[in-house]
Amino acid sequence: MLPIILLSVFGIVLLFMGFLKSKVLLLPATLVFILAALATTFMDWGKTYLYFQNMLLTNNLAILFTTIVLLSAFMVVALSNSFIEDEQAQPAEYYALLLFSLVGAIMMISFENLIMLFVGVEILSVAMYVLAGSDKHSPRSNEAALKYFLMGAFATGIMLFGIALLYGATGTFVVSGIKSYVYTNAYGVSLLLYMGIILLLIGMLFKVSAAPFHFWTPDVYDGTPGLFTAFMSTVVKTAGFAALFRVLSVSFVGVYSFWWGTLAALTCLTLLIGNVTAVYQTSFKRMMAYSSISHAGYLLIGLTALGTQTKQALVFYSLAYSLATISAFGVLLVVSRQRQDTNGVNENFDAFNGLARQNPLLGFVMAVSMLSLAGIPLTAGFWGKFMIFTTAADKGIYWILVFAVLMSTVGIYYYFRVIIAMYFREGAAEPVKVAPFYRYVLIAATILTLVLGLAPGLLEGLV
Amino acid sequence: MLSDFGIILLFILAAFAFISLVLFGASFLRPDRPNVEKMSTYESGEEPVGNANVQFNIRFYVVALIFVLFDVELVFLFPWATVFGQKTLINETKGLWGWFSLAEMSIFVLTLALGLAYAWVKGYLSWVKPQQKIPTVDTKVPQSLYDQVNKKYQPKAKASQPASGTV
Repeated sequence: MLPIILLSVFGIVLLFMGFLKSKVLLLPATLVFILAALATTFMDWGKTYLYFQNMLLTNNLAILFTTIVLLSAFMVVALSNSFIEDEQAQPAEYYALLLFSLVGAIMMISFENLIMLFVGVEILSVAMYVLAGSDKHSPRSNEAALKYFLMGAFATGIMLFGIALLYGATGTFVVSGIKSYVYTNAYGVSLLLYMGIILLLIGMLFKVSAAPFHFWTPDVYDGTPGLFTAFMSTVVKTAGFAALFRVLSVSFVGVYSFWWGTLAALTCLTLLIGNVTAVYQTSFKRMMAYSSISHAGYLLIGLTALGTQTKQALVFYSLAYSLATISAFGVLLVVSRQRQDTNGVNENFDAFNGLARQNPLLGFVMAVSMLSLAGIPLTAGFWGKFMIFTTAADKGIYWILVFAVLMSTVGIYYYFRVIIAMYFREGAAEPVKVAPFYRYVLIAATILTLVLGLAPGLLEGLV
Repeated sequence: MLSDFGIILLFILAAFAFISLVLFGASFLRPDRPNVEKMSTYESGEEPVGNANVQFNIRFYVVALIFVLFDVELVFLFPWATVFGQKTLINETKGLWGWFSLAEMSIFVLTLALGLAYAWVKGYLSWVKPQQKIPTVDTKVPQSLYDQVNKKYQPKAKASQPASGTV
């Protein structure tokens, strides 16, 4: 489990690098640190190891999720060059917090003991609460941080209560221990176990912003500085679903008939609320918040129809979603900063008017990411949806499949609003300036999206 | 036979019984002659002023946070100490156990010390004093004239009066 140790040490190093006069070194150092962690992650490839007295377990699935998380973090950090110019920003602290939150994310991905899950959730969340309020002079950012903190702390408390009840029922915190308890007592499972499952699910579904625990998402995503919104909607979601998958597929698969109905109902509710509310948004950032709720719904389908294909579908979908979301936020960041209106940064749909004419590259990047999020063929998002829907079809839950397809047609409407604004509306005459490195990151994300869309078999057989 | 939780229940019941017995017993036995001074909040005579729900200075929170940090560190040291000093473990490993656990604890304490150093260098520990606002009056009378008047009519300090009252 070298990446956890490395990232913790690197985080402290970054904190103290903040005392250097020059801030130029911070960004490349952070990128190198994340790459080093990524490299050490692959040392365990192909093997299954238990670490720290059965606290953490690494296998190929955990390594793949860790890779997605670290890759997203790498791209988000690479898009953060604006901090260096900003006088009030504290880049060293932001980067250190990002690395610390990655430690939490990796713990959530590879936990074997439920205590580790709780510690991971807390490490990730506390860092995110601070980053949500990192724009200290903006009331919206402060509101976002306070809302996220109060509601997040409450959800974590509920989750911890669930873990305590699970311990009461099974006498163990270990994921595989709970599994063997469920199998040995298949007909006389204690009521505490059911309560524990429900409370644990509530806590985790809050973190991945599934309805009806999604109320914080729009306000928090909207108020948080754009870069950290991108981090929040990719890393936190991927780690949350990895944790949900591990606990559901290992511990609770024996009582599948108990929780699948609840999860199916929440999936449909999430899809409905996310997609329908996104249609009515005028702010692009708020639309992305509701879109992230709806994508949580699609990912939940994979969990509801838990089967042999689920892990592959989850990995592919998380990767496709992360790539598309980061490039969308990357374009939003430059555009909103350079096309300001009277209220400061303009994050509405009309900021994108005529973008494709002045900046064909930015327009193309945004168009590909929107197509991927909407699930149009030749992009990674299409195959992600395809795999998720296949799991539901394999399990024979056709009604959820029909509902999800209907909802993704609703999704096409609001994703295409951006494309229409970029390609068919008249906008500002002067093009948006993009730094070279920034451009490379956006191009890389777009190419990855297209490659995965053309050759979805690349990830096949890894898990 | 009582289970472990049964004993805890007995403890709780006994605690309630004991408290109520002592309090009610005392109120039956003691003489009851209240007066104004006895009913005041502080017997020392200090008069409570205002509401307790006031805004605290934000500086106290930083101090409280750092205090909690080191308090928790101390709590960790106690269970560690019992493991560290286990003679059987030390003998079995020929003293390696002691060094191992000592190194582990030093890493933990050093990491926290780094955090303290960070807060220190950042200046979060220095107690920022508020700037005193001295009221100024736009007038043609020179300040020295005021000082003379103040000096002349300065109230004579009484021995019983606290010094702060005169400023």
